[in-house]
Amino acid sequence: MSAALQNLVNQPYKHGFVTNIESDIAPKGLNEDIIRLISSKKNEPEWLLTFRLEAYRRWLNMIEPTWQNVKYPKINFQNISYYSAPKPKKKLASMDEVDPELLRTFEKLGIPMHERAALAGVAVDVIFDSVSVATTYKEKLAEVGIIFCSISEAVQRYPELIRQYLGTVVPPGDNYYAALNSAVFTDGSFCFIPKGVKCPMDLSTYFRINTEESGQFERTLIIAEEGASVSYLEGCTAPRFDTNQLHAAVVELIALDDADIKYSTVQNWYAGDENGVGGIYNFVTKRGLAKGRNSRISWTQVETGSAITWKYPSCILRGENSVGEFYSVAVTNHHQQADTGTKMIHIGPNTRSTIVSKGISAGQSNSSYRGLVRITPTARNARNYSQCDSMLIGSQCGAHTFPYIQVQNNSAQVEHEASTSKIGEDQLFYFAQRGIDAEEAVSMIINGFCKEVFQQLPLEFAVEATKLLSFKLEGSVG
Amino acid sequence: MSTVIWDDYLEKLIESWRKEGEPSRTVSYLNRLRANALSRIESLRLPTIRDEEWRFTDISSLRNTLFPRASTASLPGLDSQKSTFLDEPTCRLVFVDGQYMPGLSGLTDDGSIIVCSLSELTGICASKTEQYLGQLADFQDDVFVALNTALMHDGICIVIPANVSITVPVHILYITSGKEVAAYPRCLLVAESEAEVTIVEEYVAWQEGVSLTNAVTEIYVGESARVNHIRVQREASQAFHIANNSTFVAKTAHYDSVNLALGARISRFDQKITLAGEGAECQIDGLALIADRQLADTHTFIDHASPHGRSRQLHKCIVDESAHGVFSGEIMVRPHSQQTDARQLNHNLLLSEKARMDTKPQLEIFADDVKCAHGATVGQLDKESLFYLQSRGFAEEVARNLLTYAFGGEIINRVIVASLRQRLEEYILVRTRIS
Amino acid sequence: MINANSKILLEVHDLHATVSGAEILKGVDITVRSGEIHAIMGLNGSGKSTFAKVLAGHPSYEVTRGTLLFDGQDLSALAPEERARAGIFLAFQYPVEIPGVANNQFLRLAYNTVQGQRGEEELDPLEFDDFVREKMKLLKMNPDFLDRSVNEGFSGGEKKRNEILQMALLEPRLALLDETDSGLDIDALRIVANGVNQLSNKDNALILVTHYQRLLDYIVPDYVHVMEAGRIIRTSGKELAQALETHGYDWIHTNEQITGALP
Repeated sequence: MSAALQNLVNQPYKHGFVTNIESDIAPKGLNEDIIRLISSKKNEPEWLLTFRLEAYRRWLNMIEPTWQNVKYPKINFQNISYYSAPKPKKKLASMDEVDPELLRTFEKLGIPMHERAALAGVAVDVIFDSVSVATTYKEKLAEVGIIFCSISEAVQRYPELIRQYLGTVVPPGDNYYAALNSAVFTDGSFCFIPKGVKCPMDLSTYFRINTEESGQFERTLIIAEEGASVSYLEGCTAPRFDTNQLHAAVVELIALDDADIKYSTVQNWYAGDENGVGGIYNFVTKRGLAKGRNSRISWTQVETGSAITWKYPSCILRGENSVGEFYSVAVTNHHQQADTGTKMIHIGPNTRSTIVSKGISAGQSNSSYRGLVRITPTARNARNYSQCDSMLIGSQCGAHTFPYIQVQNNSAQVEHEASTSKIGEDQLFYFAQRGIDAEEAVSMIINGFCKEVFQQLPLEFAVEATKLLSFKLEGSVG
Repeated sequence: MSTVIWDDYLEKLIESWRKEGEPSRTVSYLNRLRANALSRIESLRLPTIRDEEWRFTDISSLRNTLFPRASTASLPGLDSQKSTFLDEPTCRLVFVDGQYMPGLSGLTDDGSIIVCSLSELTGICASKTEQYLGQLADFQDDVFVALNTALMHDGICIVIPANVSITVPVHILYITSGKEVAAYPRCLLVAESEAEVTIVEEYVAWQEGVSLTNAVTEIYVGESARVNHIRVQREASQAFHIANNSTFVAKTAHYDSVNLALGARISRFDQKITLAGEGAECQIDGLALIADRQLADTHTFIDHASPHGRSRQLHKCIVDESAHGVFSGEIMVRPHSQQTDARQLNHNLLLSEKARMDTKPQLEIFADDVKCAHGATVGQLDKESLFYLQSRGFAEEVARNLLTYAFGGEIINRVIVASLRQRLEEYILVRTRIS
Repeated sequence: MINANSKILLEVHDLHATVSGAEILKGVDITVRSGEIHAIMGLNGSGKSTFAKVLAGHPSYEVTRGTLLFDGQDLSALAPEERARAGIFLAFQYPVEIPGVANNQFLRLAYNTVQGQRGEEELDPLEFDDFVREKMKLLKMNPDFLDRSVNEGFSGGEKKRNEILQMALLEPRLALLDETDSGLDIDALRIVANGVNQLSNKDNALILVTHYQRLLDYIVPDYVHVMEAGRIIRTSGKELAQALETHGYDWIHTNEQITGALP
């Protein structure tokens, strides 16, 4: 790999800074008292405390998984603070009253949220360290009956909905990190699209981790009733720290008959420095239940950040004719590790799923696709098509493909294809010989490679993703 | 020292061997090897479906029977002997219940091939095989290879000297007699530089019965040598068949294999190929044709350990009735194995509602200048082809059988020994109900 | 055509170059004036393709000695893309496949980069489409290949035509054709050669790197150089190529007199 290429990838993280806002931080450590503290701070009903405690007791009996293709030092769960919130100030009447320090942070990130919200027609529910600070466009959404608020608020205002759906797609004991999340989640988003309503705008939440060593345990729940549809965007950036931060979110999606949920993520958390020091551990459980007939759940993700990414946004296709989709780009550089993919569980007849996964590895990083396509005996005429492509940049990185295909119904058609390609010296020389420099060449090749995934993103996200990828890989090629 | 997980089944098994008494050994390295393997078994256990490599293949029923080793081999009539021999002149090596039968074996060649059984391993054969025997098939993490190595009570070493081309196929015939016994056959093939050979490894049953075969075959393909390896597993319908093939392919050497899994109640075949030298090539193809309640599990691992290697793989499964097919195919490209060209395809046909297929093709790539691709499909017969045949007047059932036959035929056609190919074609015709 | 008064485009003196430590070029001397067509012939491994790559600035090759002047400017200080923008074009022996990047996108970016360099107008996608389709007729190319990825899945002939199409678009001052004839059937060879001839004029120059005389039946060189062991050991007129075709490369050593007698 030439020097020019090295430089391109090795640019410092531009979102690396810490906002000085006083935080209300719980003492480090995890026990039933801490869970009771979280629950009481949030003024939760008794059933939710019970839900948390049951999850905690299950978690105590679970073993941290080791099958994933990632390596990291053992996490000390007693060295994490499980609750932190910006100290409550007087009620905010408008955006002008938001802490200017906070606004400056968003400015630096290039997310002037009020402008962005207005210009792009996006309602931004800003999550700043686990607690919602500002929510916009709520009234406009309320007109059509859409509920879009923080999950804490939803617990207070719509307890019956939360109680009906929370933990039904990802049960509290589903896996180690889901159990942990169920015990200690502090906030997240709640979204409810009532029967027959097409959400008039993309719903968007920007997450941001701020307090050092505060574990982040968001909980997101999205429900689309019969005939409803919604496109939800999640974007993440985080400031630079030298100690690892754990992020274990749970996202649950439920689509009833003829409903359609599209969930898009651009993830650019701090990945650690070029020596692999620091960075976020991103251990996420995302799952959608296509419960109704003709329902559709679509995941699109662009994963560029975090020291370790470990997530498998999945679809349970229970409804007849339901559709599951997974479009993913995962970029790793330096010492980053990503083990990501999806699970498509076909239960209903005539269910269909599509998987398109693009992994790009540079530096000394490792990127793995791990996927499961399961056709159960009841899934007559199920169809799946999977395509997993890897691109390697430099000779010290690794790309891995681990698809599991399990078919128990002979009317199914399942197809999986995988290939590798490269950005090598020869390709760059070819571009150079036609007068095109390395930076532009890399950007062209990467965008060509990721085209099928970027096409799935809402326009403004696609632009952001393209920039992000070029930025991440600048200097790694050539 | 790793933690000791003492497995009660293995404990009983080893105890029973001790009662049978140790076979005598003539070569010290063999004794050493056996002792090492035996001590390794103490820290291993039988795999269960909780082990990733065995998650689809439940062998717990193996624990129900403590298969003893056969002590005497009984011979059936001449006719059934003949029916398993190939029509062509061959170098034939016959085992019955794991015991080498010199009387049934015979060499048809000019004497350039070196063959000796393990019990008479001395002289040139011993010196030419020492660096390979037990070195290619790793027993550290594989309890079945360890068991086979610890026992190694009979087996055969074949050496094709440098620049020698053996024109007749070497037919190694492993026969189970139908008794409730275990066979642990071992075979080592060394093709020295620029040697050429075709080897047919065949497992057949003279009678129905519950038996266990745990076979290990090691193959070393020397520099620029060519080995064509045909493996046919037609064990009895209630048999357990567990086998490991470990092959090293040296610089610019070529290894071809066709593997057919047709018999046994539960069969597991581990094929490991290391493209160890620059420019080494392999083509490995396989077909599992199973029905009833059969389970056929094929695990392949192609290790591109050197630059400019090339591998091609086509594996097919035809799964009927309540049978269960498993395929796990891993392609590893090590760092610095630049210019690797690897391609793997896995196609599976499910013929009945109860049939089940689990497949897991995997790529692990640590070099950037490579061409690697894999593909897998699970499905039914192509509807368009079916319609085409029906529109030409074939009854639907006939059309189905014909297409199924053609699906498997692609692999059978790769068998280059004519009489064997013909026999296999007939077998598939019967199985696909065409004749 | 030879015109002693025309401007010197390329001047190479005592050029030595290595690839991963091994010296391939061991003192190459050549002078090319505008309007001229040169052929460099030689056996495989003689260094002729290396010479072409060194001129274009391939990063695997290191120039260890000698001078390399293009239009009076020292090339060794220029990055490959700067050489391209200055007007050096290499038609690759093995054009690289670039999956995912559409050919028309690639061609337009390359064209506009060079246009921008020359202070000339860049073309938007629609204008460019008209422009490139016109050029494609020259090479009898099917328009649908504009939508395919660069060189991906192209036949050998299509790849070579794509190279010449790029040459037609970029209008280089010095074009290096590295084994452009290899892998082409006779019809494709005729089309490619015809395209090259139409692009050749008094202001540009052409260096053909080839193993065989075949291409030189269609593109007639002014000079033929024979390369061996990293040096040009013989320079003569087009007759030299025919003599080599008839007698083989060994003949150069066994028959010094005859070669010496050639103009």
